[in-house]
Amino acid sequence: MASASVNVSVEAVQEHKIQEVTLDGQEIYIPPLSMSENLAKLAHKIDFYKDESEDKGKPTSEGEKEVEEEASKAAVQPSLWPWDNIRNKLKAALTEMSVLLDVLNITKEKRYMLLDHVSQDAPEAKSAIQLMAKKKGLQSAAGVLLAGAERLKKSQQEMGTRPQNEFHIELLKLRQNWRLKKVGKTILGDLSYKSAGSRFWQGGSFEVTKNTNIANGEGDNMASTRSSLEVVIPTELEGSAFVQVEVKTVEGSMNLTSAILRMPHGLGPYPSDAHWQTKLEAAQNVLFCKELFSQLAREAVQLKSFVPYIVVGNQIISNVFPNVQLSIVLCHSTGKKDKKSQHPGKVEHNHVLEHSLHQLLREVHFKSLNMSVPHPVTATIGVTKRRRMAGPEAISRRELLEMTESETLLEQIIKQTRHAVLRLRTMKVIDAVAAKFPDPQICAHWSCLNSSLESNVRVIITSQGYEAMRPTWQSLYLEIGVNDIKVVTRERRRIILSFEEKEIEDLLLWQISQHHIAICQSLARLLSWQYISHSSATGVGEMEDFATASSVLLVSPNSDKVIAVRSGPTTGLHVHMKSDAKDIDADLASILEAKWYNLTGTFKEIDLNRIDGRNFATKLELIMASVTRKR
Amino acid sequence: MGVVCVYPYPVPEEKSGQQVVDTIQKQLELLGAHKSGNFFVDCESYQSNLQTATQQRLLHLFHNSEQPATCFSVLDNGMCLVSDLLFEVLILKLAEKKSGKDSYYQQRKGFKVESKGQRYELGDFIIKVGSVIVASNFRGILIEVEYSPCVIPSECWNLMKEFIQSFMGNIAENPPAHIKSKMDTVYTPEDTIQQYLEHFNNFRKATSASVPATPNR
Repeated sequence: MASASVNVSVEAVQEHKIQEVTLDGQEIYIPPLSMSENLAKLAHKIDFYKDESEDKGKPTSEGEKEVEEEASKAAVQPSLWPWDNIRNKLKAALTEMSVLLDVLNITKEKRYMLLDHVSQDAPEAKSAIQLMAKKKGLQSAAGVLLAGAERLKKSQQEMGTRPQNEFHIELLKLRQNWRLKKVGKTILGDLSYKSAGSRFWQGGSFEVTKNTNIANGEGDNMASTRSSLEVVIPTELEGSAFVQVEVKTVEGSMNLTSAILRMPHGLGPYPSDAHWQTKLEAAQNVLFCKELFSQLAREAVQLKSFVPYIVVGNQIISNVFPNVQLSIVLCHSTGKKDKKSQHPGKVEHNHVLEHSLHQLLREVHFKSLNMSVPHPVTATIGVTKRRRMAGPEAISRRELLEMTESETLLEQIIKQTRHAVLRLRTMKVIDAVAAKFPDPQICAHWSCLNSSLESNVRVIITSQGYEAMRPTWQSLYLEIGVNDIKVVTRERRRIILSFEEKEIEDLLLWQISQHHIAICQSLARLLSWQYISHSSATGVGEMEDFATASSVLLVSPNSDKVIAVRSGPTTGLHVHMKSDAKDIDADLASILEAKWYNLTGTFKEIDLNRIDGRNFATKLELIMASVTRKR
Repeated sequence: MGVVCVYPYPVPEEKSGQQVVDTIQKQLELLGAHKSGNFFVDCESYQSNLQTATQQRLLHLFHNSEQPATCFSVLDNGMCLVSDLLFEVLILKLAEKKSGKDSYYQQRKGFKVESKGQRYELGDFIIKVGSVIVASNFRGILIEVEYSPCVIPSECWNLMKEFIQSFMGNIAENPPAHIKSKMDTVYTPEDTIQQYLEHFNNFRKATSASVPATPNR
């Protein structure tokens, strides 16, 4: 037999039980219980069938018996919902099943949990030996702890003197923010969004290296200190990128061929000695923008719609309305070559839509990972809560079909763009009309409860000083949607407007003309003038370009003056007055009553510009008041 | 979900069921209804298998093509459970015999009842003409009329009565027995199933009544 080499093992002091001492003096120890064996031993001690008043091990069969008992009980207690008990038990059973499924899944992987035989309890040894063993064990444990404390104290002292940018400290900081793993001798990291739910084909793995050319002797100036850790980013993710979204008006509807390859500007390339955190964040942003743009481009090519999308290079162009174009550009500057800016003109980048795009992609990521509760932790696919409740709620076929429809990213962003354009246009038009016509005040109350696809506004037209007369208010309610605007007028008439700006302007002008007539009516009531006639669609006189003119006839309390007002959206406001005829025969004058005098006479127009008054209502009141005579 | 009324259509002695169904379908098409597919309502019964000889309880399991994700379970005392289709799998498990022990529920063979046929749509109405089949024998015709916009029976009963009488004659004098007590409450799909259960039970009884008649000859 060859001479056995002496085994020298350096290990912690063992206080394990000696199972056997062989003839050549070797001691064989009982191997200590590993973590899984320990767990198994403890689990073996739990008795699942004891200490539960309801049998949790068999919920379903119990549930059935409960059904019949509860059914008979329900007749006695009609107020108690009969399925409550069952539901609770089934819920508990579902929880237990989920836990069991998780345990089985984890055990299958054999990395964190193992199925193993249950070990038997070791036989009790004598108490004296146990005491000795425990004493020795405690002494060695104390020794280990004290040695550890010494080491920690020493390392703490060293930390103060060590320079801050040492490689391992930097590595620790890096590990706190990014996921790293060691492959062979190199340290690789992952900056992609895969763990957040992304399914992009391009991976983002970077390498962490030591920086060997640290400038010595410059440790005082923190700004110029180089970190001892460098990251190497893959070349396609270098530089910085952003997705530029622009909404612009172009003359000529199908001008999609004017797509020019954009050069990035406004983005500075990052200096090569920037801090690793900045570099990594920039690379991650580049990856995100690339994923976003590739998803949009794929949808633009595959989507079938009435309006064709054009994908040219790094640009996607589509017409949201005739004359309005949406362009999405991926701007990526690598910072290597010196590029001359070819577009000195300013580009109106829409930050809101860019943010929406980012949010939409993040939502896609989120949905691919998270499903609605309850579900086992290790489940990878699931159904939405609505689909799960479709059974118990007896959802019809039509509603189920509606649930399966989903929208692509491009469709969603185009809808948001449309709504943004409509909203801005409506705002502009209302403000322009309000500025142009100071006479009746136009007030727009925009609701603060709105979404990216719907907003609403209430426009109120009043005359200053006469707001107490509620009937004179013309209040319009506009609901701005994605493709059109719905209007509800004061008389509860529903009108649907398209995206043309002129339609909103026409509507407001028409409402202003209606307001004037409403003023006349209210003032007449106040000043006890009588109403002779009112027509909201006058068929005589000048024709309007759109809508109709309204007219009203008022007569004074003494029946000697008649005022006629005609107001139309394009023809404007005209006030005519008729006085009694002064040229009646003296013979007739004595036998005629006063009221017959106002059958004849001519109307004369009043020039409103020469009457004092801030607005039409004041002027009309002045006219009516000055003309009324006491009886 | 609207208000649904289910009525049996009597089949005259000399005609076959198929002929009557064709007549009704022609009438509907004349009225202007258009076909929108097939429909089915089927029922399977399970009997509880208790060792102690207390009264056997029945459980009826319904499916309705109008609510494809749902299955309805009705007990013999009238209580109804609306659940996902997976409940059926649960019942099947309960009906299995395992390791020497008897199952808790037993399926009653030969009790499967089905109503199948065409589905028509006419404005707000949905009309279904179904031939009832009990254990692969034709037993009768059930007509189901649904008025989608309304959910309270008392508000639309007059309209429905007029509509049904226009092509079915005087069958619909009174509202179905199940709805009569609930004219002012909200109508749910469960009520439809209860109506079907009533009619299916009648058809089953008619079957069992006619069967002893033949051996006597």
